[in-house]
Amino acid sequence: MQMLKCVIATCVLVVSILATAAGQQLRITPDRVRVTGKFQQIQLLVQQKEAPNTTVTDLDDLTRLANYAILDESVARVDTHGRITGLDDGITKVKIAYQDLVQEISVEVQGAANTQIEFAQDILPILNKAGCAAGACHASQFGKGGFKLSIFGFDPQADFRAIARASRGRRLNFGSPEFSLLMAKPAMQVPHGGGRRLDTNSIGYEVLREWISHGAPPPVNEPIKAVSLHVTPKQRTTELDETQQLRAVVKYSDDSFRDVTSFARYDVMDESVLAVTSEGLVTATGKGQSAVMVRYEGQVEAVTFVVPFGNRAQLANWTNHNFIDQLAANKFRELQLEPSGLCDDATFLRRAFLDALGALPTLTETSAFLTSADPEKRAHLVKRLLGLAKDPAENIYNDRYASFWTLKWSDLIRNNSNDLGEQGMWALHNWIKESFRTNKPYDQFVRELVTAKGSIYSSGPANYFRINGNASELTEATSQIFLGLRLECAKCHHHPFESYSQTDYYGLAAFFARVGQKGSEEFGLFGRESVIVVRDTGEVKHPRTGQQMAPTPLAGEPIDHELDRRIPLAKWLTAPDNHLFAESVVNRYVGYLLGRGLVEPIDDMRSTNPPSNTALLSALSKTFVDSQFNLKHLMHEIMTSRLYQLSSQPTEHNFSDRRFYSHYRVKRLAAEPLLDAIDKAVGATTKFKNLPPGTRATELPDAEYPNYFLKTFAKPRRASVCECERVPDENLAQALHTLNGDILAEKISGKASRIGKLLANKTEHDDIVNQLYLATLIRPPSPQELAFSRELLKTSPNPKECYEDLLWALINSKQFLFVH
Amino acid sequence: MCFRKLLLLFVGILATSETPAQTSYPMLMSIRPVAAQQGQTSEHTVRSRYDLYGAYKVLVSGDGVQGEVVPHAVKQGEKPGKIEALKVRFTVSANAQPGVRDFRLATPRGVSTLGQLVITRGAVVLEAGNNDSLSTPQTVELPATLCGAIEEAEDIDYYQFRVDADTSFSFHVRSMRLQDRIHDLQQHVDPILTLRSKSGATLASSDNFYSADPFLGYHFEDAGEYLLEIRDVRYHGNAYWEYSIEVAAQPFVLNTYPLGLAARKAAQVELIGFSIPSNPIAEFQVPAQQGKTVEVGIPLESTLSNPVPLIVTDLPLTNEQPQEHSRTENAQQVSVPTGINGRLSSEGEIDCYAFDAMKGDMLTVEVTARRRQSAIDSHLRILDSNGKQLQLNDDLKIGKRGYSDSLIESWTVPADGKYVIELRDVHLRGGPRFVYFLELTRSKPYFQLFADTDKTQLAPGAAGVIFVRAVRKNGFAGTIELGIDHLPEGVTASSGRILPDGQDGCIILEASPETNLAATNVLIHGKATRSNNGPAADSSIIPAAQYQETYLPGGGRGHWPVEMHTVAIGRPGDVLELALDNYEITLEPGETQKINVEVKRAKGFDKNVTLDVIYQHLGSVYGNTLPKGVTIDANASKTLLTAGATQGQLVFKADPKASPVDSQQVSVMANVSINFVMKTTFSSKPLLISVAKSSSAKPAD
Repeated sequence: MQMLKCVIATCVLVVSILATAAGQQLRITPDRVRVTGKFQQIQLLVQQKEAPNTTVTDLDDLTRLANYAILDESVARVDTHGRITGLDDGITKVKIAYQDLVQEISVEVQGAANTQIEFAQDILPILNKAGCAAGACHASQFGKGGFKLSIFGFDPQADFRAIARASRGRRLNFGSPEFSLLMAKPAMQVPHGGGRRLDTNSIGYEVLREWISHGAPPPVNEPIKAVSLHVTPKQRTTELDETQQLRAVVKYSDDSFRDVTSFARYDVMDESVLAVTSEGLVTATGKGQSAVMVRYEGQVEAVTFVVPFGNRAQLANWTNHNFIDQLAANKFRELQLEPSGLCDDATFLRRAFLDALGALPTLTETSAFLTSADPEKRAHLVKRLLGLAKDPAENIYNDRYASFWTLKWSDLIRNNSNDLGEQGMWALHNWIKESFRTNKPYDQFVRELVTAKGSIYSSGPANYFRINGNASELTEATSQIFLGLRLECAKCHHHPFESYSQTDYYGLAAFFARVGQKGSEEFGLFGRESVIVVRDTGEVKHPRTGQQMAPTPLAGEPIDHELDRRIPLAKWLTAPDNHLFAESVVNRYVGYLLGRGLVEPIDDMRSTNPPSNTALLSALSKTFVDSQFNLKHLMHEIMTSRLYQLSSQPTEHNFSDRRFYSHYRVKRLAAEPLLDAIDKAVGATTKFKNLPPGTRATELPDAEYPNYFLKTFAKPRRASVCECERVPDENLAQALHTLNGDILAEKISGKASRIGKLLANKTEHDDIVNQLYLATLIRPPSPQELAFSRELLKTSPNPKECYEDLLWALINSKQFLFVH
Repeated sequence: MCFRKLLLLFVGILATSETPAQTSYPMLMSIRPVAAQQGQTSEHTVRSRYDLYGAYKVLVSGDGVQGEVVPHAVKQGEKPGKIEALKVRFTVSANAQPGVRDFRLATPRGVSTLGQLVITRGAVVLEAGNNDSLSTPQTVELPATLCGAIEEAEDIDYYQFRVDADTSFSFHVRSMRLQDRIHDLQQHVDPILTLRSKSGATLASSDNFYSADPFLGYHFEDAGEYLLEIRDVRYHGNAYWEYSIEVAAQPFVLNTYPLGLAARKAAQVELIGFSIPSNPIAEFQVPAQQGKTVEVGIPLESTLSNPVPLIVTDLPLTNEQPQEHSRTENAQQVSVPTGINGRLSSEGEIDCYAFDAMKGDMLTVEVTARRRQSAIDSHLRILDSNGKQLQLNDDLKIGKRGYSDSLIESWTVPADGKYVIELRDVHLRGGPRFVYFLELTRSKPYFQLFADTDKTQLAPGAAGVIFVRAVRKNGFAGTIELGIDHLPEGVTASSGRILPDGQDGCIILEASPETNLAATNVLIHGKATRSNNGPAADSSIIPAAQYQETYLPGGGRGHWPVEMHTVAIGRPGDVLELALDNYEITLEPGETQKINVEVKRAKGFDKNVTLDVIYQHLGSVYGNTLPKGVTIDANASKTLLTAGATQGQLVFKADPKASPVDSQQVSVMANVSINFVMKTTFSSKPLLISVAKSSSAKPAD
């Protein structure tokens, strides 16, 4: 009953969270306080009331600067951080003073004399915050020191037994609670391998003592559960070194609320921008934008902080090519970032070819573009590369576009012959390629994949169900590839960074419970064909409760289909209003084209990992949905934007920006485009096993080839659906390979190489050098570079060595190895 | 080449050299070109493993195609060497049915395994020169039938052709489907066809349409040059991977609706396929031939269509009604027996048919769709009137092979009432090509017969054996008397029987010592005689289906159904005769008896010979005609004859509870290994085994 009272009292509290005391100078949140029980702590937030032309997000936080005083100190106490704790039932006021501004708000305390502690609701949050229930500590597979807890407290009954019953109850001392191992160890009153985790002056310490002193009552059978978390402020623009106190309030399943600022966990997403204390005090330590992740009992919320880079951004020469530029400019202004200028034509040509096709342009294509006087030539080039030109004769790159993007998606879907056999691998490859060749709408592409059935030889997407052979693998792969959600944590426990639980995980897995295989002889005696079918039976059970799970989309209601549950799943997944579906793929393409996703990692879309430009992600997603999920249209919008065409050279104003696209973010060529680029530059080919001569690396269908170059440059083995499998960082082996490796040297000096042909044709020195630069850097040499080459020729033993050295140097240059 | 040094000889005349020991009959590997045109005579190169030397006859399935061996040129004075490539000339009549024909060659070492020849309407164009890159395509004029080979890894063949504006062509590839009958081809092709613009841009592509073989229909809006590309989808290749691409400008009919038609009646059908006329309805006279293997060229405006698979039946026919009938409550009412013509017209469509039945009725429900080129992979259920599932079948099996159609056989009705047949595609697909024929009949006892091999090799004065296995249906438990027709002159047969409690019988063939080289296709059959237990079967003669043995990687025996069984008389092999000291024994229950076996070896043949009475390989039994309860006592028998040994013995043992049997025919076999997998089997004359009647047992037959 006491719990119920607590709930009702805190309801009133939350109602006032966003209220502002009218007509007063300070903005106090909440504007009146009700405390239930003597262990509840209410965090006050103090701001100066907003002036005209300011917004709430701009207001300075005065919480740590204000002075606090309780008028009746027998009823409650307040500390210097603005935290109010009840002492006895009664009504009083708290006075808040900052400089010459003074304000009072009422404080009402109820139930202090009869405070009850509930294990799951009150004790477990303390253990979670202290880190006791973390995977690295007592929630590891075998626990620590013989004491094992469930991960993040997902199993209260087991945790209670471990604390109060196991080892003959030695962890609790009812007579002297402070001497209980449960308290003495984390407080370092006795040696503790995990170090100090609990302050003896903390409210958590007091709660533990109270619970033990009352006989450590077990968890109730059906405790109320946290259903959402509300953190104030939601967003903040601040200055370097300024602080902001956070306030966290949880909503429970019975619609009650509680201030959990003292019990929540706080983490910053980018430690170069922010720091946060365990009490929720955030400090701006660097420029940029970051978020603080706030977690409490399975509920997660993120608060975004913006710390402007400077104090003026003119954007004087900025013109919007499309909506992307408008929204990017808004962000530049918010961050006071001055973007770099446009890149030159040669840089754009190289960038566009590599991004759209994974290939360098030919000398002819380069020459034609660089000499064109067409003011719209960049836009026209993008259309041609994407096969969107009005004249079909201009759309000559469609097969190469399809090959390159098939490579990308084959990595994600993990197409490989180890799992599928050669025919299955080829069937899936050809289906993906045909999908990109015909620019199949992305939602249709996903629907066909997720609901695929039939022969693994004839129905390429059916192989998705061979790569992912059970409901768990399908759940994790589908959610990560198409929603950007990493659900695997929720397989064993509540997701630490998301609101998803085991119930969510297995509810989603239930959609795949009936997918199976059968044999077939349609492909003859040696065909060994498998057919993906949906069986009439098959269920998924919750591993902890044993409950049979109804197929349920994330954060949705159960939906079923008598014959194939995947049909409603695909409908939900690809629905225009499933914002994560569009946003996740849009974010991937932003990452592919602009060098960094609006959300990073680009396949980690969660509420606690907010985008760097929320408005831009929303607008791009809306455009994508409105275009019927047209990927080429999405690429066209990005590639024709001014943002995409910015120079990669940072200015003194924006050099520290790594997130907001104020200058084009250079990116290393991936293994396959790099090998193709080298081959094209030197005039050689690489022969791949079981593929005809002339096959480019970007056309490779399978995961692994016995090719040292591709292995060294981190071609993925397609073992993971994570984008991170393609490691973007360079390493020493790669550098040594291009600097000293035999492969490159042999390609450059081969008889049929570009240099060999140029020399055989007795080409003039300047023309040779010009061609080498155009073939590698897609630009002619500068006068200085040309002059240098002439000097090099003079000092070289012979012309062949001169040109080989020059080409080797060009290939090892950053201008070649990077898209810039 | 100096013609004076050549001597053109008909190789059959030269078949006088000694047959080396442990040699096999020839195995056909490929034929090039793989297609022959109607109304034309054409020469083709047949390639084989093992020797084709002395080939003297070509046997071809069906009507209208004749084959002959082209005399082979050998250099004068040279000994004829092993021949693994031979010219064969086919003459195709103008009205020969287009499609695939089996053929084989008869040689002194026996008849070969099967090859396959495509009979086509279009002119045959053979792949020539280097057409392996986009820049060096072979220019062809269409329509035509392009024949070539994906002869090595990474081989890609390109053909360039010109079309007028507003032209449609169908491109029908046959390659993988021609390979299941090739005994020794252990990896099969998986072709993919791509249509490209002159610049190489992909316009359309097809990978698997007919199994692994592609089919592409394309409408060319613009006149110009185009490219056709064919390769193995994995870029594999093999010298024996031949293909034909039938490129036609006329409609290509895949199916008709309805699929099942009444025999000898005029039919009106909707044509389904590519480039079908705007009015898709065609009329024609349905042939008298009944069954599920009929293919008919349907009259089009000025010609016949490609052969279209049909089902011709005398069953009363029911057409699917247009009204919704997807649930138990609104199921379309039908009566028993009937053949229902229907179509799953749209994705997710379910068709339900209701019928009334009495308790104890035995019913059979069979879907024929995929076997007749429909796109359906059927999922069949029988429900009660409340929608509760009583029976379910997805795929069916006939003999050794499985199919995507469905069959519920001998279902016993549990109570008087209304029942519902529910049919859908297992993948919830639907569309014009999803036609089906659903038979609802009363179950009748019957049997199916399967001959284990498709060829029996004999030598003058020697014997051979054919094993026949019965699959009993719907409670049939009677004896089956075997028979064989159309034997070569000089060959006699001792036809055994399949006992009621057994599944195998054998036919032993003996060639008289005076016979010459000969080969004929025979008809193996069986007839139910009588049954002491269970219902009697129809007493008509049932032909046996035959399987060609196919080498499986790893050493197993695969079996693929073929159309012909050939009995051939060739030259003597490694074993000239198997002589038993007793050809008729009677065993008392619990008794053992020994038979001495003498193996007469060919001169110089001293390799191992293994004796057996059970036709078996790697632990699997393919033919066992011993009466139930009779076995070979392996410890007491001597079956392995090494180092030229000729004397063996077999000890037969009757179980004390063995049922009495009178004169069951058994073959004593001598097996000679050809290689790790294969063996040549020689037979004795019939051995008749009886089991004496005991006082407590009744004779089984």
